[in-house]
Amino acid sequence: MSRGPLFYIGSAALLTAMAIDAAAVICRHLGLSILGSIEIVQAAMLLASSAALVAASLARKHATVHLAIDRVGPRTRLWLERISAFLSAVFFAALAAGSIWIAFDLRHGHEASEVLRIPYAPLRIVSIAAVLGLAGIALWQMRRIEPE
Amino acid sequence: MSSDALAGLLGVLLLLALLVAGVPIGVSLGLVGFGGLTLLLGLEPALIKSGVLLFDTLSRYELGVLPLFLLMAHLCFAANASRDFFRAAAGLVGHRRGGLALASVGACAGFGAISGSSLATAATIGLVALPEMRERGYSDSFATGVVAAGGTLGQAVPPSGALIVFGIISEQSIGKLFTAAIVPALTQMLLYGITIVLLCHFRPAIAPASPRVSRAERWRGLVRILDVAVLVLIVIGGISVGWFTPSEAASVGAVGGLMLCAWRRRLTWPALGHALAETLRTSGMIYAVIIGALIFSVFISLTGLAEAVSSLIGSVSDNRVVAMLMIAVVLLVLGSLLDGLALMLLTTPILLPIVQQLGLSPIWFGIFLIRAMEIGFVHPPIGMNLYVIHGIAKDVPISRIFRGVLPFLGADFVHLLLLILIPGLALELPKLLAP
Repeated sequence: MSRGPLFYIGSAALLTAMAIDAAAVICRHLGLSILGSIEIVQAAMLLASSAALVAASLARKHATVHLAIDRVGPRTRLWLERISAFLSAVFFAALAAGSIWIAFDLRHGHEASEVLRIPYAPLRIVSIAAVLGLAGIALWQMRRIEPE
Repeated sequence: MSSDALAGLLGVLLLLALLVAGVPIGVSLGLVGFGGLTLLLGLEPALIKSGVLLFDTLSRYELGVLPLFLLMAHLCFAANASRDFFRAAAGLVGHRRGGLALASVGACAGFGAISGSSLATAATIGLVALPEMRERGYSDSFATGVVAAGGTLGQAVPPSGALIVFGIISEQSIGKLFTAAIVPALTQMLLYGITIVLLCHFRPAIAPASPRVSRAERWRGLVRILDVAVLVLIVIGGISVGWFTPSEAASVGAVGGLMLCAWRRRLTWPALGHALAETLRTSGMIYAVIIGALIFSVFISLTGLAEAVSSLIGSVSDNRVVAMLMIAVVLLVLGSLLDGLALMLLTTPILLPIVQQLGLSPIWFGIFLIRAMEIGFVHPPIGMNLYVIHGIAKDVPISRIFRGVLPFLGADFVHLLLLILIPGLALELPKLLAP
């Protein structure tokens, strides 16, 4: 994984979630509490998981069953890989469409977390950008698949 | 069978076709689920349900357990903890006949407690244990078979990635699943140990005895794993006795992993960057699978397919053991076609309601399913662990590796049967620790 913005955003979010959650445990055992720690972890995890999804797609790391694809000829394999990339794009586009629909419906709802009032709208935008990115990556990979 | 259940069955068949055609597991599950929901409910509800599931999954607090345990594992790799487990176990029993094989199984269990993955465990312990066993005159077939089978302990010993995914898609307590996995993992180790002892008894030439290492060397080996052992004990013990939730345990474990790296003077920017990058990539892959599986699950629950399959099984026999044996056969057959994750995600929405109708615990089913998945890791034609070991010992033909793993496969079948006959193996410890 190249050390671009995606890496830094995902890593920072992951380390933030780790630090806040661990601090909350220590504080709880000391009889103290970190107000809204779960909400911070949730927001950080959304950033980390969105970055993680894109990172896995860029690295072509999505889990696949290799039973047939490793045993077919190069031409068939090429077509199977193209179809697979196309179907991936369709699925992620459907997820994006559903997420946009909900975000549009809730645009005047001023959704926010209960304790810290962390607004959900920017988090929804991050998740939509991630799945749109995934659909784009799948289409780009479909065009880039070439015969071996 | 109702038309909805028929749609569910067609969905499962289409899913199998997509998986075999090499479409990513998450995409296959999600597409079939989305298509099915569109057919049953219409496009708008299908889109909205998928959108809701996406946001809920990405922002779910409990799911943080997955990347944070992965981060802990990668930090422990960076601290070079993997080699130490084998060295410590080899120091204790390596001088006995078959001792290095026993040490490999012990090292796999120890390393499994930080890696949570069968493939990573087989690969990591294989790299350390195989050259040593072969150098000491162990038979190629036996040595490779031991590590391939031992690798499956990576998934059996908590915290296990597969148990976390099962807990999420079946909405079961991950803490209870981890606690329930402890006794089955220990009995699995015990059965592998018995298999090694029996093999060495009847065919002594396959694993000759080695010179005993000095007492000081043995102590050094044990001291070297003390820090990792403490970390694992805090994480697993803390969950079992209720000090913290699994999500919190993952955070504590990741902080512990950072401290471990620092303590061993291995905490460098490149090492941390590598651990974070690997964590993000693997988490992304699992998140995609979970999102797809949740959409597929909603579709399957709407079709009533589970009820149809349940009444089919009930018409054959109403005996719980017979029903579970039938389910085990289905899992083993499917497990020889699909890899573990695909098998779990395909079968959980269908089989879990059946198991519950039979009066069995979903926690027990999680452990049972993981054991069935593990068998698929050492069972041709998929048998991923066999190929991982073949990648390390390229001069050993895959057929010899498979011959070596056969006795352990036998032990796995016995273990699966024991789990069916004595559910308490998985269920007693969670009851004892959190009544």
